[in-house]
Amino acid sequence: MKWVLVAGVLALLALPAVLSSYALTLFILIFFYGFLGQAWNIVGGYAGQLSAGHAAFVGVGGYTATMLSIELGLTPWVGMLIGGVLAALLGAIIGYLGFRFGLRGFYFVLLTVAFAEICRVAVSNIDALGGPLGLYITFTGNPRQFQFQDGRVYYYIALALMLVATLTAWAIERRRFGIYLAAIREDEAAAEALGVNAFKYKMLAMVVSSFLTGLGGTFYAFYLFSLQPNTLFGIPLSVEIIIRPIVGGAGTLLGPILGSFILTPLAEISRLYLGQGGLHGAHLIAYGVLLIGVVLFLPEGVYPRLRRALARRSGQTR
Amino acid sequence: MTHRLTRRTFLETTAGGAAVLGFPLPLRAQPKTFKIGAIHPVTGALAEPGQACRLGAKMAVDAINAAGGVKGKGGIKLELLLGDTQTKPENGRVEAERVVTRGAQMLLGSFDSGSTNAMVSVAQQRRVPFLIDIAAADPITANVAQSVKAGQQKVQYVYRNFPTGSSFGRKAVQYFIEIFKEANVSPKRVVLMYCNDLFGQNQAHGFQAAHKTANPSWDIVEVIPWPEPPTDLSTEVSKAKAAKPDIIAPITRPASALLLFPEIRKQRIEMMGIVGPGSPGIYESGQIVQLKEDLEYVLTSVPWANFKNPKTATAAEEFRRRSGGKTFDTNSGYSYDAVFVIADILERATALDDPDAIVDAMKKTNYSSGLMQYGGPVAFNELGDNANAIPTMIQILSQKPVAVWPKEAALQKFVFPRPRA
Repeated sequence: MKWVLVAGVLALLALPAVLSSYALTLFILIFFYGFLGQAWNIVGGYAGQLSAGHAAFVGVGGYTATMLSIELGLTPWVGMLIGGVLAALLGAIIGYLGFRFGLRGFYFVLLTVAFAEICRVAVSNIDALGGPLGLYITFTGNPRQFQFQDGRVYYYIALALMLVATLTAWAIERRRFGIYLAAIREDEAAAEALGVNAFKYKMLAMVVSSFLTGLGGTFYAFYLFSLQPNTLFGIPLSVEIIIRPIVGGAGTLLGPILGSFILTPLAEISRLYLGQGGLHGAHLIAYGVLLIGVVLFLPEGVYPRLRRALARRSGQTR
Repeated sequence: MTHRLTRRTFLETTAGGAAVLGFPLPLRAQPKTFKIGAIHPVTGALAEPGQACRLGAKMAVDAINAAGGVKGKGGIKLELLLGDTQTKPENGRVEAERVVTRGAQMLLGSFDSGSTNAMVSVAQQRRVPFLIDIAAADPITANVAQSVKAGQQKVQYVYRNFPTGSSFGRKAVQYFIEIFKEANVSPKRVVLMYCNDLFGQNQAHGFQAAHKTANPSWDIVEVIPWPEPPTDLSTEVSKAKAAKPDIIAPITRPASALLLFPEIRKQRIEMMGIVGPGSPGIYESGQIVQLKEDLEYVLTSVPWANFKNPKTATAAEEFRRRSGGKTFDTNSGYSYDAVFVIADILERATALDDPDAIVDAMKKTNYSSGLMQYGGPVAFNELGDNANAIPTMIQILSQKPVAVWPKEAALQKFVFPRPRA
């Protein structure tokens, strides 16, 4: 299994040499959403705290780096980290309110959605942040400004982000921290009875997850060159973030990545073949039907099923 | 030396020849086309205007091809490679990359400013001339112009034939002032009412900013937003009434227009009239049929087709037929014109396979056969914008939308102040 992963990473490193720039773009989106999904996975999958407002962290990260770059000329490479820290701060506030007052399940979901919506409405109404129209970044192609004339650089950055998030998740999974999170997810009361400080570990998971997600905001901003409150803080982006780990397998290391490798091309292929004719929206219906199929027949996600199938085939009893 | 043809050399030469020549052969056999990547939000929240844009562009391509293609370039035909942003900015980039990889030599699009700006990066990175048919955010072109000026980019590949966000507000204020003067009235109190969504906020901000700069003799005494779509506007309208307006200046969407105009009638507000800085869609026959007298004499500033041009009526009729009864308006009209502007650029470009030659021709554009109402020929300024892309003040008169201002666009004289009932 380990060697398969190493080979996979090596193949991804070599891939840009043969990809067209359109395929490159698709891979960038696969990595980027895989990265966001993985970041969400830490709090939503491992700790089982369903955050449906992760877009807020993307927004905070993106706006921070962009404003620092536009107003102060600070390179987004630094702005990215500051954005991540601010996103982590917001994550800590949301986490504190949610976990301190014992909000679980739907109530926590509502809290996170509410925060994202508050951010969206606030940013829409602050003229200094571009208001509803948002911020537009000048395309310069200058690497210092996190911009590249060559699309392959974005590819490697997105890949690196995904690998960093995955290594973080892997490190958490292997440590006591990961086991605590799983215990909290499965039965919080029982975990606390055994002496696990649920509040502390949920907070930690939230902070790590929101920090990583905040880093993604900078990539989003400087890859697409504009930030609008509705797209960056909106519910649709939160759903995009969640849906990949759900399909791939939440709370597993490779689930979010697998989910991203399934969903992004699926959306693209359905649009490619069904979006051209007169039937506007047929591709969205096809995409929706496939999604329902996955949830219906693989409710725990694709990765756990795949792992079992592989284990069975190789005769292991893992 | 004699050249003996062995089986090996035969195979080598024919295989090599086939590889070099044979492969492009099927392409050569087909009629040559110039491919334009036309990307619009055909699904998602902006599907309706996006589909109108796509149809407008298709109609223009059909018309150009039927008339013999780009004549100056051996009658080369235009071909659209269609893209759908699904109203998501990231898909502006994905779709632009896709169509360019499939051979698009120019880009066209894309209605919403976010995905348009994402397309800009592809245009600049891959050197593909990009004509924006619709997208209002000022920075889209200004940013590129600035980075070219600063030497960060060599060439500007992005141009726009559409009014910018700030020019919408400026023009609306200008028309207000001119119409009041022409009507020989001096209203003092204007109440601005707007739908509190992306479009409404932008329009309202632009209008207020332009009002501040122009500093006319009338004041905006009250600003009343409503959540879009609204369920009831009686409170908002009574608030407007309390401000004793001479003019109510509404910015509506079709959904809110259906509530706002009847409510204004019900509350019997004494005023000179309703003059808006922008209400897309109120001119659609569906709206007029539903709102009837409540829309009569309403003035609003919108991009409008130039019906003095006889070709406009023909295109509008074709659009009505192909769209299932819709008006040839901002979206269809500007996308239609954009394709004709591209054809004009291609006629003049010294080479079609060199993006910089196309850009050179773009910069020298001076096109005056557009179907939309312009303030002059289509020409691009130092920012890459067409300063002659302007809105028109239209009025609903005898239940039909009619261009009434500026004077050169007017088909009829406006009726203002409105007659008392």
